[in-house]
Amino acid sequence: MNILARLDLWKEQGAISAEQHTHLESLSRREPFSLSLELNFLLYAGVLAFVAGLGWTISTWSHQLGDVLVLTILSIILTASFWYCFSRAPAWSAAETAAPTPVFDYVLYLGSLVWCVELAYLEDRFHLLSGQWDIYLLATALLFFFLAYRFDNRFVLSLALSSLAGWFGLTISHWPSHQDATYRQYALLYCLVIGIAGAVLQNLKLKPHFFATYLNVAANVLFWAILSGVFESHDDGLWFVGLLIACAASLAWGLKRRQFAFVAYAAVYGYVGVSWMFLRNVSDETFIDGYFVLTAIAMIVMLVQIARRFGRPE
Amino acid sequence: MRIYTQSSEETMRARKLLMHWTGDGYLSKEQYQSLEQDTVSDLRTTNIFLRLVLFFFTMIAVAAAVGLFFTMFLSRTSEQTIGIFLLIFAAVSYTAAEFVVTQTRLYRYGIEEALAVCSVAFLCAGLDLFFFSGIPYSPREIQLVIPAVGAIASLWIWYRFNLWYAFPAAMIFAASLPAYWTPSHSAQHVFIAVLYAAGLICIAPIRSRHRFDTLEDAYSLSEAFLWLGIYLVFNLKIYLVFNLKISDFSLLSYWGSPTRFTSGFAGPFYWTTWVLIWCLPPLILARGVRQKDRFILAVGAITAVLTLVTNKPYLGWQRHTWDPMLLGIALTGVALLIRRWLALGPDGVRHGFTAARLSGNDKHAMSIGSSVLGLITPQSITPPPQPTNPDFRFGGGGSGGGGASGDF
Repeated sequence: MNILARLDLWKEQGAISAEQHTHLESLSRREPFSLSLELNFLLYAGVLAFVAGLGWTISTWSHQLGDVLVLTILSIILTASFWYCFSRAPAWSAAETAAPTPVFDYVLYLGSLVWCVELAYLEDRFHLLSGQWDIYLLATALLFFFLAYRFDNRFVLSLALSSLAGWFGLTISHWPSHQDATYRQYALLYCLVIGIAGAVLQNLKLKPHFFATYLNVAANVLFWAILSGVFESHDDGLWFVGLLIACAASLAWGLKRRQFAFVAYAAVYGYVGVSWMFLRNVSDETFIDGYFVLTAIAMIVMLVQIARRFGRPE
Repeated sequence: MRIYTQSSEETMRARKLLMHWTGDGYLSKEQYQSLEQDTVSDLRTTNIFLRLVLFFFTMIAVAAAVGLFFTMFLSRTSEQTIGIFLLIFAAVSYTAAEFVVTQTRLYRYGIEEALAVCSVAFLCAGLDLFFFSGIPYSPREIQLVIPAVGAIASLWIWYRFNLWYAFPAAMIFAASLPAYWTPSHSAQHVFIAVLYAAGLICIAPIRSRHRFDTLEDAYSLSEAFLWLGIYLVFNLKIYLVFNLKISDFSLLSYWGSPTRFTSGFAGPFYWTTWVLIWCLPPLILARGVRQKDRFILAVGAITAVLTLVTNKPYLGWQRHTWDPMLLGIALTGVALLIRRWLALGPDGVRHGFTAARLSGNDKHAMSIGSSVLGLITPQSITPPPQPTNPDFRFGGGGSGGGGASGDF
């Protein structure tokens, strides 16, 4: 019995009204078919391609075009984007607000990306802050946080979080070659700052729906930082204890809030860290294989129990 | 033949839809509780995160168990013996996958999926070691056994367990088959396309029998993969998209004569593929629109963009730094035009399509997507450095994230 037959049955049984039946049947038959996702993705890809081309063009032809022309073009796009956003935006609300127009989010995103291009160009050509990029990053992060909260935009919030990460000397692309103590400290500080900020803002009911973004970013950076500490520390078990605490906290949070991404973080990051600690000085292949067989089965059993008890399908 | 009965899968689907509709406010909580009783299934499923983690740990357990077996009992044995045991492990893995589904009724649970995937991997590795180890020059015709068996096994897993990712795996195995039939690159491309087209011809009529039921999505996704596969086979410049370097384009421009771009391919074949990469996207889009199929529409849009991106290299034309800007303007323009055109229809609907968001799922997907895409954007729009330009100074900086990823 497919869903259409089931809807008919539910209508006959009186479980749903005729109006509900009509509506749900049309949804099931894809009548009408919503192109919302596809159009949003086209807009996103369009903005991204445009800004990539803009940056590429400027980086290649800046000398031929001249500073005045480049800055004029960038400023016009920037001003027009932000003018559009500020003129169209509804009055600010601390709660979740829908974008006033379908393209609003993408215009804001365009403006934010062009801001970065313009700032980079200004510093590169005129050395306004003598190469102190951390100040630019901090200013950019603050601006993006303001824009994200003003216009309720997750795109820009993510940009703000990555700019702030940059300010902390943290870029994901540099991780493999910079796993040193300094980076770890900055990473932990970054997690602490955004974790606390996210929690405070949520408690203040200021765009509480942003909290999940803060928490996911903080959790992943935290686990990477702790894991790098576990991998590199040879004597003290401080990082390992930290990993266990982080895993326990992530697991507890995930189960309590039914946010299973955190259960997955705890399981995978925790398993990698614990396995490293157990096996780092072991060279016996039989022991290593036996360890993985037993521990992986133990993890499966534990996760199945969790799935049975808590893991609702989505 | 399928391990899950259609009624079980329909029940699971109905349950999922009930949750979505209640979340969207189309059904009341009381109605949900009442109707939920109607959708009780014997299948056990879980959410995507636990499914992924269970898949991961099952793979580790199986791989380690096999490694342990070889370490303990067969540490000094011939590769052919290892091959035989891998074939046995393939059978054991497959039997275990069947067992956990039939006995514990797991459905999209990660465990049975990992076991099924392992069985295909062991099967291919076992065949390779058993038949070809120690034989330096085995005939090419015999070597095709491995991809052929891999393709058939993947197709079986796809059909039996309804695991969508087994289908592209079968396509990848199938794509390596023509290399054993002919040394001609052009002929290989044609053979692969014929195989995929045959898949389309087989799937289309089956799919039409499953309109609005639970198998429609599976066939729709497979059809979308086949269309994408055919397009990728014919687009001979697709590698440029995945390895964008300005030096490649500069090199192309130096070659001058268009015939130089066809290196490795006969001229008529090369230009036929150029015609095809322009013909396929509208065809795929038309099919997607006609079927109201999200996956096929997405493939149509992706192939259209790929055609625009690879057209200049195809023709040997100089690529310009502002080409992405024009592409961006075109994409945005198309999106706005379609949105406006649809919005102007009665109730915002034209020909059964609307630009309005109808489901809370779309909103949820957009929320997650915007957060993730916002984080990766700084990496993705970083312009490539251009060593050919002596005036180059402003480059390598990530624009998004305040240029956090670059040195400017």
